[in-house]
Order: sequence, then C-alpha cells, then structure tokens
Amino acid sequence: MLEQAGFSDVAIGEAVDTFAGAAGESNARTFEVFGFAFLARRA
Amino acid sequence: MSVGGSERTDRPGDISDVVPDVELLRSQVREKYREVAVRPADRYHFHTGRPLAARLGYDADVRDGLPDRAVESFAGVANPFSLRHLQAGERVVDVGSGAGFDSFVAANYVGPSGRVVGIDMTPEMLDKSSETAAALGLDHVEFREGLAEKLPVEDGWADVVISNGVINLCADKRAVLDEIRRVLRPSGWLQFADIANGRPVPPEVMRDVDLWTG
Repeated sequence: MLEQAGFSDVAIGEAVDTFAGAAGESNARTFEVFGFAFLARRA
Repeated sequence: MSVGGSERTDRPGDISDVVPDVELLRSQVREKYREVAVRPADRYHFHTGRPLAARLGYDADVRDGLPDRAVESFAGVANPFSLRHLQAGERVVDVGSGAGFDSFVAANYVGPSGRVVGIDMTPEMLDKSSETAAALGLDHVEFREGLAEKLPVEDGWADVVISNGVINLCADKRAVLDEIRRVLRPSGWLQFADIANGRPVPPEVMRDVDLWTG
C-alpha cells in the first residue's frame, strides 16, 4: 500500500510482541498481531 | 502481512463494505483515548506509559528526561525512531500525537532549530500535550486539533511525518497515506509504527467496532 500511495525505499523493522502480557494478548495471538516500525520516502 | 488489520479492496480508498461506520469508529476511538488521557493508570487491552516506552526500546535518556504526564498516556505499538534518526532542524508532523510522548521525543532530537507539530482529534489529549509543552517551555512544539485524513498542515511543510499506532485505527488507510504524502516535502520521510496481522481478519470481525478499539 505504501508504494501504491507514492512512497519508495520502504523498510520494515523487526516484529515487536506489543501485546504480550496485556489484556489484548489473546486477540493478538489469534490474528498474529505484532508491532512494526516502518520507514518510507516520498517518491 | 496486512498493516493495521485492514485488507485492500478492489477500489482504492473504498472499504465501506468491510469496516464499521466511519463516524462510529472515530467516535469510539476518541472515547477510548479520552479515557487513556484522563485515567492513564487504568488497565487497557494494550500496555501504556513508561513500561511500554522501555519495552519498545526508546532511548532511556530521552524517556527518563520527560515528566510523568508526558509519558503516562503513551500507547504506541513500536518505535518510529528505530529505523532512522531524526536530524537537528527537521520539521516533524506527528499524526495522532495523543498526550505528546512521541512529539516530545522528536523535539529532543530535532532541537530548537526544528519544529514539531502534533495532530490529534481527542480534546483531552490535546489539552494534556499542550499543557505539558508549555510546562517544559518547548517553544518549537505545538499541538493542533485535526484528523489523520485531513491534517491541518500546509502542503510540503514537513521533512518527516511520524505516527504510532494510529493508522490501524483509521478506516480509510489510503486516505491517510495520501494526506501524509501531501504534507511531506519531496523526498521527505515517513517513519511510523503500527500493528500488522499475519493472519487475515474475517470480514465479520472487521465489522465489529469493539475489536478495533479494544
């Protein structure tokens, strides 16, 4: 989606287990939800 | 991998067939984050505050140098500064700035020759972030009311746009990205943090607004 929106040089960081130990952990596990850092440049 | 729990449809920007009512979603997101602003110590489905900032790898020197009110309502999902360091003098827009934690971190990095503009739609968050900026004497940081889909920033103003855990809460992610592109200068940077799901979310779950907000 980033490239379709006019961005280039897209980079994605390591997955972060954002919800581990939080009340929302069960839902996060169901859909394999993790946090990520994204970097992109306006093309 | 799907960013922010949303799947693209055939028509860019039109996801009305898979998401709840946009205004209802926006209203419930605003209410959820109002609670986080005024009752940061309550238990939410996500982590908050200093323990979260440490968990996500924010610089200890930066986070420890901020007062509790700047950190306690932080509810990000990763570290938007981990893939690129902000440079002194850069102009930064923080989309969905909340109580201002990422804006204050950015202000530390860009220094007084830079500028940081935080945008949020929740009045209680804006009050909190603005009061903190004033208390810290940060003249190069300001907070404005607005939506991610309609940023109150002029075309091409920003060197960098940051955001943390916000785009996943917006129904029309393409509209948000288009707006971010509008406020960035050519070759400007978008560095944001958000959630992504490894398994597709069924349409019936996507329509459940409670699951978007917790």
